[in-house]
Amino acid sequence: MQEGEPLDRLVPALDRAALAERLASGASWKCEMEVKPKRKAISLAIEMLRAEGAVDGAIMVQCQNISKVKELEYMIDSYSKMIERQNRDLRKEKERVERLLLNIMPRPVYEEWKKFGVTTPQRFDDATVLMLDFVGFTQMSVAHDPPKLIAELNDIFTAFDRIVEQFGCERLKTIGDAYVAVSGIPEPNPDHARSIARAALLFVHYLTRRNQASEFEWRCRIGINSGPVIGSIVGVQKYVYDIFGPGVNLAARLEPLCGPMEILVSGSTAALIRDDFELTDRGEHDIRGFPDPRLAPRTRRRGPGAGVRRGQRASRITSITVPIRMR
Amino acid sequence: MATSLFDKYGGFASISKVVMAFYDKVLESDVTGPYFDDIDMRRLVDHQTKFIASVMGGPASFGDDMLRRAHAPHRIDRAAFDEMARLLRETLAEFGYAQADIDTVLDRIESKSRVVISADA
Repeated sequence: MQEGEPLDRLVPALDRAALAERLASGASWKCEMEVKPKRKAISLAIEMLRAEGAVDGAIMVQCQNISKVKELEYMIDSYSKMIERQNRDLRKEKERVERLLLNIMPRPVYEEWKKFGVTTPQRFDDATVLMLDFVGFTQMSVAHDPPKLIAELNDIFTAFDRIVEQFGCERLKTIGDAYVAVSGIPEPNPDHARSIARAALLFVHYLTRRNQASEFEWRCRIGINSGPVIGSIVGVQKYVYDIFGPGVNLAARLEPLCGPMEILVSGSTAALIRDDFELTDRGEHDIRGFPDPRLAPRTRRRGPGAGVRRGQRASRITSITVPIRMR
Repeated sequence: MATSLFDKYGGFASISKVVMAFYDKVLESDVTGPYFDDIDMRRLVDHQTKFIASVMGGPASFGDDMLRRAHAPHRIDRAAFDEMARLLRETLAEFGYAQADIDTVLDRIESKSRVVISADA
């Protein structure tokens, strides 16, 4: 700085009018500027104010090197942007994981697992289980064309998922061509049997319509049973939410007794939905694994022949007439 | 998961000092300095912060493609690359980083040399 050198050459940003106005009101005029004497830029904070006690209108110019402050400021800026991006990525990842987990377990179970790290098996007394599979699946020509098969099953099961959701039921799992849905789990649903029955009817309706326009004919069989089941996460490393108990087994046993595009319901379900659906009584059938408690021996037999073939109770099964009308 | 060097050495609060010191050295060096002649301070600090965070396992990671794209216009040669590595080694040593950790960082940097260097000289 040389004597007589005008201030605005040193501080190009200087606005003389603004400076005069600020000084007149007793305030100071400030600006920040960057100079680059060498490679490294220096940030300066300039403040001009009237010198105290000055009589000849002299002003004081304060010049402060704020390079380090600026560097830090930029650094924090850059760093927080990185963190924000990382947080966004993490959040996205978390949502993805959550969606995945919700695919394999119901939300309340997921919430419990998230909160406590474990889940307790839970008994549901009022539940209805639906088991569906396709007639002659392994013989279908499409079964030998895996990509086509997956596309077909994906399409059908996605439609089923929508139907199941529409009636407040849950798709529990699919195993190959089998589709398992439940109602009354994990949230109680007083209408569990009716909801599942409605879903089952729509499954059949959907397939009938689909078959008319598709090169493959998919014919399902559906077994439905109402009864107590236990729901629990199984596995430590590989989680799967599954249901157990006679309520599940009976639905599975009913399904093979079905004719194509038929829905079979057990006596317990029939009792719950009789008023709303047209049912056809199919009489009593022997169902493996469901012995008559009155006839079964008290002690369980072991070795060959276990599983109690004789004295099995004829479980009463009923089918929903298809095509069906709701009453 | 193993703790990153970034966390081991006190996270951003203390690593920011490394960034500052390294920034000064890089600009003062006649080998690396000229690369940053026309760049404004904000971008330069941003670059250094990301660079240090990245080599220390902090919240920045760059894919090879991204590194290549970012460095290609600057025609970086082996000498500049080595100087950058040397300055970082020096900075980390001054801040009392363990030799083994410094070696880890430098190995990481060396592994990116093919991506960063684009000039023969």
